[in-house]
Amino acid sequence: MNRGPIIFLGAFSAMALSWVGLIVQPQLQLGLAPQTTNTINPVELYPQARSGLAQQGLQVYRSLGCATCHSQQVRQDGTVFDVALTSLGTNTAELVQAVQKVNPALSPAEAGKLVDMTPQNVLAGVDKTTADAAVTNLSVGGAKAAVHLVALGPDLARGWGNGRSVAADYLFDQPSQLGAQRIGPDLANVGLRLPGRTWHFHHLDDPTAVVAKSVMPPYRFLFEKRKRGPQPSPDALARDGPTPQFDVGGTRTNWTSPDALQFDALAAAPGGDEVVPTDDARALVAYLLSLRADVPLFERPLSVAPPMPTAPATTAPTAAFPLPKP
Amino acid sequence: MKPQFRETTPAPESEPKAGSVPVPVWLFVALGLLAFWSLRFLDASGGGFSPKVYRPYASLASVAALQPKSEGDVMFASGQRTYDAMCSQCHGPTGLGDPTRMIPPLAGSDWVATASPGRLVRFVLDGLQGPITVKGQVWNGGTMPPWRDVLRDEEIAAALTYVRGNKNWGNSAPAVTPEQVKAIRDKVAARTAWLPEDLLKVPETE
Repeated sequence: MNRGPIIFLGAFSAMALSWVGLIVQPQLQLGLAPQTTNTINPVELYPQARSGLAQQGLQVYRSLGCATCHSQQVRQDGTVFDVALTSLGTNTAELVQAVQKVNPALSPAEAGKLVDMTPQNVLAGVDKTTADAAVTNLSVGGAKAAVHLVALGPDLARGWGNGRSVAADYLFDQPSQLGAQRIGPDLANVGLRLPGRTWHFHHLDDPTAVVAKSVMPPYRFLFEKRKRGPQPSPDALARDGPTPQFDVGGTRTNWTSPDALQFDALAAAPGGDEVVPTDDARALVAYLLSLRADVPLFERPLSVAPPMPTAPATTAPTAAFPLPKP
Repeated sequence: MKPQFRETTPAPESEPKAGSVPVPVWLFVALGLLAFWSLRFLDASGGGFSPKVYRPYASLASVAALQPKSEGDVMFASGQRTYDAMCSQCHGPTGLGDPTRMIPPLAGSDWVATASPGRLVRFVLDGLQGPITVKGQVWNGGTMPPWRDVLRDEEIAAALTYVRGNKNWGNSAPAVTPEQVKAIRDKVAARTAWLPEDLLKVPETE
C-alpha cells in the first residue's frame, strides 16, 4: 500500500506549522519592529542608534564572551503606585486634613510634618485607582499631587533598572547579547547605573581594585603599558597609585587634582611608564555606557519624575554591584 | 549426506490481543474542561498575543491605563537624552568641554547664548573646524563632525534647547524649534565644515 503522499503531507504540515509559529509569527510581531516613539514625548525615537565606537564595542563585548557571565534582561513582577505631594497650595490646614483622609494611618502630627517636608510620599504601594482617587482628594486649595509608577521585582530591587526590558531595547544589538546566566550583575542598564568612564577603565584593568568581592577576571590585555611622552596620555591609569575610589556617579574621589586622569599619569615622571587603554577597551566602555533603557515606552510605562525616596521595602540588596565607599 | 532443511514453517498462530475496553467518558469530559481552562487562562493572561503587552501586564487596555502624562518641558527632557548620547562624549556631561583635547565648553559660552540660533544650527548641521574663541580663550580641538545626516530636525532642536536653556550650566537662551532647524537645513546646502570666521558673516539675528 502506497502511503508516501500522506506521510509527505503529514511531515510537511508539521514542519510548516512549526515554521509559521516559531519563525513567521514572531518575525511579524517583533522582528520588523521599527524604532518606537516615546509615549510622553512624541518627538523622540527610541532606541537611538549607537555611535560607531559603541557599535565596535558590541563586537568586543561579544568576542570577550561577556555574555557568558552577564545577562542583559531585566524582569518585572508587578507595578504599584506612589502618590506624592508636589505643591502645597494655599490652605495648609485643609491640606493636612486631606492628607489624613487619604492616608488614615497618619496621625495629625505626622500629616503636618509630611506636608512641611514636601515633596514627600503620601501613599506608597497602592493600585492605580486608589492613587488617582488620592490625587483628586489632595487637590485642595491649589495643592497638587502626582502619581509615580514603581516597578517591582527582584531585578529592580537590586537596582538593575527602572522597568523591565522589552523587545525595542535590542533593536540595534546585532547579535543581541541577552545572556543566559548571571555570574556577574545584569548589564541592561549599566550605562545608567555606572556612568563613569574612568570607573569602567579601572574596573576592566583590575576589578578587585574597585569592587572588593568581584569574581570578574582582570582584562589587563585591554590596556597597554608604554613609555610616557612629554605630556601624559588622556585616560592613562596608574597601577601603582593608591586604590581608586569613586562616588555614586562614578567620578573618582580620592584625588587632590580636579583632573584625575592627568594627575594619574603625572605621577609617573616623563620617560616613565604609563598604562593606556587600547582601542578595544575604549570601544567596550563606549558600548557599556550606551546600555541604558530608561525611556518610557507604551509597553514599558515609567514615571517621568523619579519616585520619592522611601525606606527600602524589601530585604533584597539594593545594589548587587556596590560602589566602594570613599 | 545431504543437509536436511525443514521446508515447512510452523502454522501462524493468532497474535495476542488486549481485550477491547471502551475509553471512559469522564476522560473526554476532563480533557474538555482542561482545554476550556487553558484557553480561559490564555485569554486572561496572554495579552491577546500583542507585541505591546509584557508581563506583568495582561491586556492592551491595562497597559494603556498606566501611560504616564508628560510633565515639564518635553523638548528639554528629550534634548538631555540626545545630548547625553551624541554630544557629551566631547563636550562633557556637564557642558564644560574637554580641556585636554581643546574642546570648547558649552556652559556659559557666548556662541551658545545668542538671541537667535542661526549660527549654532549651521555648524551643528555641517560641522565646525579651526580655532574658535570661546569665553576669551582660543580652542583648537580639531573638527566637530556634521550631524546633518545623523540627527533629525526635532533631535537637533531638542539638544540645542537643552544646551541653550540649561540653567545649571548658566545658560538661559530661548528654545530652538524644529521649524527653525528645518528652515536652515533647507536653505543651506550640505557643505564642508564651517570656519568660525565664515560663521561670523552670518547675520546674528537669523
